[in-house]
Amino acid sequence: MLGFLQKVADYTQDAVSAAKYLVQGLGVTFDHMRRRPVTVQYPYEKLIPSERYRGRIHYEFDKCIACEVCVRVCPINLPVVDWVMNKETKKKELRNYSIDFGACIFCGNCVEYCPTNCLSMTEEYELASFDRHSLNYDNVALGRLPTSVTSDPSVRPLRELAYLPEGIMDPHELPDNQKRAGLLPTQVLEELKKVKLEEENNSSKDIAPTKINSNN
Amino acid sequence: MNSGIDLEMSFTQGVQNLGLSQELAHLLWIPLPMLLVLIAAVIGVLVTVWLERKISAAAQQRIGPEYAGALGILQPMADGLKLLVKEDIIPARADSLLFTVGPILVLVPVILSWLIVPFGQNLLISNVGIGIFLWIALSSIQPIGLLMSGYSSNNKYSLLGGLRAAAQSISYEIPLALAVLAVVMMSNSLSTVDIVEQQNTAGFLSWNIWRQPVGFIIFWICALAECERLPFDLPEAEEELVAGYQTEYAGMKFALFYLAGYINLVLSALLVSVLYLGGWGFPISIDWFSSLIGISIDNPLVQITAASLGIVMTVLKAYLLVFLAILLRWTTPRVRIDQLLDLGWKFLLPISLVNLLVTASLKLAFPMTFGG
Repeated sequence: MLGFLQKVADYTQDAVSAAKYLVQGLGVTFDHMRRRPVTVQYPYEKLIPSERYRGRIHYEFDKCIACEVCVRVCPINLPVVDWVMNKETKKKELRNYSIDFGACIFCGNCVEYCPTNCLSMTEEYELASFDRHSLNYDNVALGRLPTSVTSDPSVRPLRELAYLPEGIMDPHELPDNQKRAGLLPTQVLEELKKVKLEEENNSSKDIAPTKINSNN
Repeated sequence: MNSGIDLEMSFTQGVQNLGLSQELAHLLWIPLPMLLVLIAAVIGVLVTVWLERKISAAAQQRIGPEYAGALGILQPMADGLKLLVKEDIIPARADSLLFTVGPILVLVPVILSWLIVPFGQNLLISNVGIGIFLWIALSSIQPIGLLMSGYSSNNKYSLLGGLRAAAQSISYEIPLALAVLAVVMMSNSLSTVDIVEQQNTAGFLSWNIWRQPVGFIIFWICALAECERLPFDLPEAEEELVAGYQTEYAGMKFALFYLAGYINLVLSALLVSVLYLGGWGFPISIDWFSSLIGISIDNPLVQITAASLGIVMTVLKAYLLVFLAILLRWTTPRVRIDQLLDLGWKFLLPISLVNLLVTASLKLAFPMTFGG
């Protein structure tokens, strides 16, 4: 009899705790309802891509020396470098250059290895088209610069996570002058320069005694 | 007890004054409330769909439908219109007769159940004597339709969904009926109007929820299960069964399932408010209030305000429950089929039986408060 009663008590306790957790869960859901939506209303609002964003590739025809390094470092040898040898000047003459963004994986190897920096990555990611062949960009198309999100008057630019001030998650209703957490890339470069200078000064002092030691 | 406004009587009298017979007047009257309730049900569904989408969005910190009308209020209309003009497909290997009858058999009993939903003293289609029992009887037709459409689709997922729906409906109908029985026992009537009237003696303190808290919870859980709402939406569990018995349906037939689901949700919410939350009753007694401001209860102005406020009260209570159902949808994870049947047979059934017995003994012990 006591065992049965114990069972009933346990069962009731289980049911009560389950109900408690359920109410707790409802509280969480209810609390979420009064929070501001975190979604970005895409065609009207856009996130500002980061400086390291790997978007559609930009190409400067005049800088290119047709070395084909981009082709060699590409995982699928995608860039098409159309050049002919000019016998008289003994120089390569570039005629056409194209990248098919229907096949490109935007790994950025070509940009990394280009010896003349004629390739670079833009922040353009809206590459949808009705025909996959129209994604095959020639040197003219590759030379176009995309409209920046910040300069497009029909778009409200929003800052992303790392570009928001410390502790703020929501890019909406943020004053313009609020700086992001941490240093800007230019500040980081300056800082690095300083560190390097100091190190050089230190090492020039340090090197002298070690040389003496090695002589001994 | 005041009988309130009787629209039917005034209408038939008005028509009879025009020189028509009483039978003809009655015949003219009959389609009016039916049409009205049908429109109310459809508008209720549109509002519920909109609410569901908006509240879901809010719970997930989204905005939800926004461009179809102000605040996306026309979105359900657009959805319905789209389903209306969509191609009606019957799979080649499906049983076309059962495939067509299935959704109809699901929808018709749900709409028919609106027969007994009272929005006021005389504001219901028919005050049938068996009232709430009719709803329980009609709701057991639904699983036949679900099973029919699941079987006739000739699709594994549909069949599994249909079987699950049938198992779920059958096992949750019993505690549901027992919870209703306890209420019926207290009010000594199956009629929904009597059940509400018996609750409206002293404002919100006389609502059944205080005398039947366990019954209220059981009823609400079972109603959610009957509507296949989220903690119990196994019959159409997207992750396992694509869409359950609806998998092969498109266009208008799918819309019938969709409509049935939401009408059933609104109906269940309305019935909870009728059975446990005092139906059209106000939180404070109207008799007491009218005597307080010194106007007779028979004053036409008081009567009209009371009647329209009564409709608002019923709908408000129902929509609060719909809100709770939507909130529950985003709070609770889906139960497994064994947990579902465990909950139904091992938890709700014994508890509802105990509840019934306790109600019966309380009725014998305190006939004044528990309706002797």
